[in-house]
Amino acid sequence: MSAQQATANMDAEILIIGSGAGGATTATVLAEAGMDVLMVEEGKWVEQGAVVPFSLDQMEQQYRAGGVTVALGMPSIAYTEGRCAGGGTEVNSGLYWRPPGELLERWQREFAIRDFDPHELLSIADEVETAINVRNVPGPHSAPSEILRSGAASLGWQHGEVPRWMTYPHGDDATKGERQSMTRTYLPRAMAAGARLAVGCRVDHLEVRNGTAAAAVTTLADGSPGRITFKHVFVCGGAIQSPALLQRSGIHGHIGRTLAVHPTVKLAARFADAVNVPDDVPVHQVKEFAPHLSFGGSASNPGLIALSLLDQWATFRRAVTDWERMSVYYAAITSEGRGRVTSVPHMKDPIVTYRLTHRDRELLRSGLARLTLLMLEAEAEEVFPSFKGAPSVRNRRDVATMQQAFRASKATVMTVHLCSTVPMGEVTETCGADSFGRVHGQRNIYVNDASLLPTAPGVNPQASVMAFAIRNARRFVATGGTRV
Amino acid sequence: MSQVPAFPLVGPFAERLLIDDLPRLLPERRREVATFVAHRVDTLPSFTRFGVLAIGSVFRLLLSVPGGWGVAKIIMRLPLPFVAEYPRLMRSLSFAYVWEHWPTTTPDGSETGGVAA
Ligand SMILES: Cc1cc2nc3c(=O)[nH]c(=O)nc-3n(C[C@H](O)[C@H](O)[C@H](O)COP(=O)(O)OP(=O)(O)OC[C@H]3O[C@@H](n4cnc5c(N)ncnc54)[C@H](O)[C@@H]3O)c2cc1C
Repeated sequence: MSAQQATANMDAEILIIGSGAGGATTATVLAEAGMDVLMVEEGKWVEQGAVVPFSLDQMEQQYRAGGVTVALGMPSIAYTEGRCAGGGTEVNSGLYWRPPGELLERWQREFAIRDFDPHELLSIADEVETAINVRNVPGPHSAPSEILRSGAASLGWQHGEVPRWMTYPHGDDATKGERQSMTRTYLPRAMAAGARLAVGCRVDHLEVRNGTAAAAVTTLADGSPGRITFKHVFVCGGAIQSPALLQRSGIHGHIGRTLAVHPTVKLAARFADAVNVPDDVPVHQVKEFAPHLSFGGSASNPGLIALSLLDQWATFRRAVTDWERMSVYYAAITSEGRGRVTSVPHMKDPIVTYRLTHRDRELLRSGLARLTLLMLEAEAEEVFPSFKGAPSVRNRRDVATMQQAFRASKATVMTVHLCSTVPMGEVTETCGADSFGRVHGQRNIYVNDASLLPTAPGVNPQASVMAFAIRNARRFVATGGTRV
Repeated sequence: MSQVPAFPLVGPFAERLLIDDLPRLLPERRREVATFVAHRVDTLPSFTRFGVLAIGSVFRLLLSVPGGWGVAKIIMRLPLPFVAEYPRLMRSLSFAYVWEHWPTTTPDGSETGGVAA
């Protein structure tokens, strides 16, 4: 089952903009409740397995702007967004973390989320885990994963395998899993219940009058204009595009002002033997310093190894031919900084900015140093941190030199976890949407994606996005889309 | 809305950087990489693309005057916000393409003789 091409004029009771983790789950709940649902997706439908994961070809086909998107700042932070049927769930690493219980309680308290029961959310997480087949790898772990495990074990640091939404149809090879993304799970389910998915259709803005939206103005893949009429609209374009779309529709308030991300810094490590897995990521994460700091592994094809050496190319270039013995790792922080998403009239895309705090910068520094130490414990021959002026590291003494040389402003800082641009709750000074995702001050406009998470969760966010989206969609069904 | 193609502004600069960074990369590969880089610049978000092309035209201008490449290299070494990110972007895209397509490339751009991916 796949999607249909969008047409110029469409109509639905419920319009859902975006088909990622938030959009696909929302569509499933509403369609299974018998509502007339139309999902529109700017990108195209790409079957899982049709492109090599983490390749430039995948970036071209399934990422926004070919994966070259940046939040401006000092330093700027490179980020990526999926842009295809299934959104980010099609391209991501598939690492599953439930939202931590204490965090849910904090969100409820600080953002005054009404009628919110953390236990209800965790029981929705149970359902999600079954629906997307969350499980551990069936056989031995890949070499890059084993490196994280052994380094952490040797230091006595807390670590573990993170389960993934995967099936393993080819036996127990940990690197041959098939991601159970939205095109494999919730989208077919929504369509089986009668939802329509129109791909190649970008919503430019909503026509809003007196707090009510009646139509969406669209651009189709061939550049021609279109229009969709509806009774209710769910904006699920992700944490950058959703606030941008609302702003383009003249809705401001607390929209796009509190972007939260998990910034990461990286290193490449070289070992004695071949360890490289070009098209998959390690499943282990190190959580000794969580929630502030976590370590994990990144995709490491030869192109990405070259990228990780780029900041200090003059001295690190010699390592590039050893890529088969190398792998890339990251230190991710829970940032106290915030960013902004700002739509500019007549510009198609928003301007995104992000400001790291002093504490964030120091955390990145200590994170990179600790990660380097872990690599040495895992018997790395040499470690190549990704920042300008970085020395290579072969022993503990070098770690101290490296730590001193580190400046966040000279580092390649990246993120793939974007949230909190329309935080949910009843604290009207900070929240863009109410306790169930309806945009404050609007009658029939809802947000139901990563934008709603009040802060960055400190763990991989997709499970939190899905669980909240299902909760909110169920509430919409229960109240008939009238008062929430 | 039609847009100015990026290649004339960024392609020659991307090629010039490659001559310095990977001097033994075959000219036809260099051209292929520069074409890829320009294509990616064409698909950048509107604001970033505008900024990249604005900075790119200054570097393009420098390339066309005698001694301009020397000046460009000095500018690239300065810690100028955003300006310094332009050559970095060109290099990131180029290196990712080179090693993804020809993983046996050595640091000077020549081949070690392995099979290209
Ligand atoms: C490379 C990468 C790795 C990741 N790894 C993990 C991981 O291991 N574990 C984890 O939990 N999370 C991971 N994430 C994050 C996770 O994918 C996101 O948190 C999640 O997908 C967010 O869901 P969403 O619904 O908010 O947005 P998305 O899933 O991004 O979906 C938004 C969709 O809306 C579409 N859209 C946007 N604007 C419009 C418009 N105007 N008109 C029409 N369509 C529009 C987009 O094209 C996109 O397809 C990763 C993300 C990336 C990019």
